[in-house]
Amino acid sequence: MSERSFEQDQAELEAIVERLERGEVELEELARLWERGELLCRRLAAELSDTQGRIEELARQLEAEAPERRT
Amino acid sequence: MKVASTEIDGRKVFSVSSFNQGISSWLERLPTVWVEGEVTELRRQERWAAVFFTLKDPENGACLAVQMPRGQFDALRLELADGERVHVYGRPELYARRGAFHLRALTIERYGLGAHLLALERLKKRLALEGVFAEEVKRPLPRIPRLIGLVTGNDAAAKRDVLTSISSRFPPANVLVAETYVQGERAARAVEDAMAALCAGGVDVLIIARGGGSFDDLLPFSDERLVRAVRACPVPVVSAIGHEQDVSLVDLAADVRASTPSIAGRLVVPDLAELRAWLERTQLGLHRKARRMCERRAERLARTRERLRQAPLRELERRRTRLEATRAHLHALSPSATLERGYAIVRAGDRLVREPPALGTELAVEVAGGAFPARAG
Repeated sequence: MSERSFEQDQAELEAIVERLERGEVELEELARLWERGELLCRRLAAELSDTQGRIEELARQLEAEAPERRT
Repeated sequence: MKVASTEIDGRKVFSVSSFNQGISSWLERLPTVWVEGEVTELRRQERWAAVFFTLKDPENGACLAVQMPRGQFDALRLELADGERVHVYGRPELYARRGAFHLRALTIERYGLGAHLLALERLKKRLALEGVFAEEVKRPLPRIPRLIGLVTGNDAAAKRDVLTSISSRFPPANVLVAETYVQGERAARAVEDAMAALCAGGVDVLIIARGGGSFDDLLPFSDERLVRAVRACPVPVVSAIGHEQDVSLVDLAADVRASTPSIAGRLVVPDLAELRAWLERTQLGLHRKARRMCERRAERLARTRERLRQAPLRELERRRTRLEATRAHLHALSPSATLERGYAIVRAGDRLVREPPALGTELAVEVAGGAFPARAG
């Protein structure tokens, strides 16, 4: 499970939401799916903020490396 | 031919036109001759019927106007250039309207270089037919060369021009220089060897540069074997041989022809300053795009998460509503609801009474409000 991509997680999450919205699930399934969805949400959000952080960090590094650069 | 004149006060007077006509017919009787000189001020235009040039005596600068019908001139395929020495076969002629005298050329031959040139022209045609000069076989130059090879004479000018223009445009460029003979008998082979040596040295683009020179000086650069070696060279070749107007066969076979050594230098390297600016712009764009992609995904995730939270709540609500409805229905069907409407349940002992009982039977009556005993009477 560790090597899943962001896009795979995103697709699974959206499929879960669609199933829930159609309302065709059993009650126990409802809770299970919701939990799974929340887990995916947290994972995706963490991954996104990690990527954003890396982009910003890289930008800061590049600025620091080229201080003479004009804008 | 008779030229008309009039007698005025005992003088024989010619009109300008009849005078010119007289001169013209006299000139026509002169023999056709060969005249040698240098071609200058060559004027040729598609819409003109004739080609004009001035034949100049290199000794003292004496000049002679020459003209030749354009069709005949083109058919000679001389590709004449100013300064070339020629033999012109023709006869003197007068342009009667202007009283201007010129030599009407019947044919023109290059003098001295004629034989060389004919051979060269034949070689050029043959190689062209083979496709050696074809545009389709020309290769693009590397965008940023790792190592530039330069074949040049040990005369400073061409070499210096190439190196100066390379280093001013792209200071980090690496250039491998092979100095060699660029004129004389040995030049063609020497240039070929130098090219091979540079290729073995790992260059990814090659410049052959040679300053201007006489036709003879540049002849090695039309050597068939060298021309083929240029075409077969494993890396793209830029040629800068002689001046703009000198076109050697190596120039035609090269992937790119530069009109001067400086231009050759500029062609093989990118402008570092421009490259930096481009890189900077690209980097900024990259950063902006990466950021925007992250943002878009974050927004999409937020929307999905909101839907995820809403969906089960709505589903539970729906189920609860349905449950309420069912319960109400169930209630409507229960006995107590019937009692509410005023019915009663009558029991005798533990049996329900469905028939009128015997008189005096002890009964238990249940109504909505409770139960009470009774006796059948």
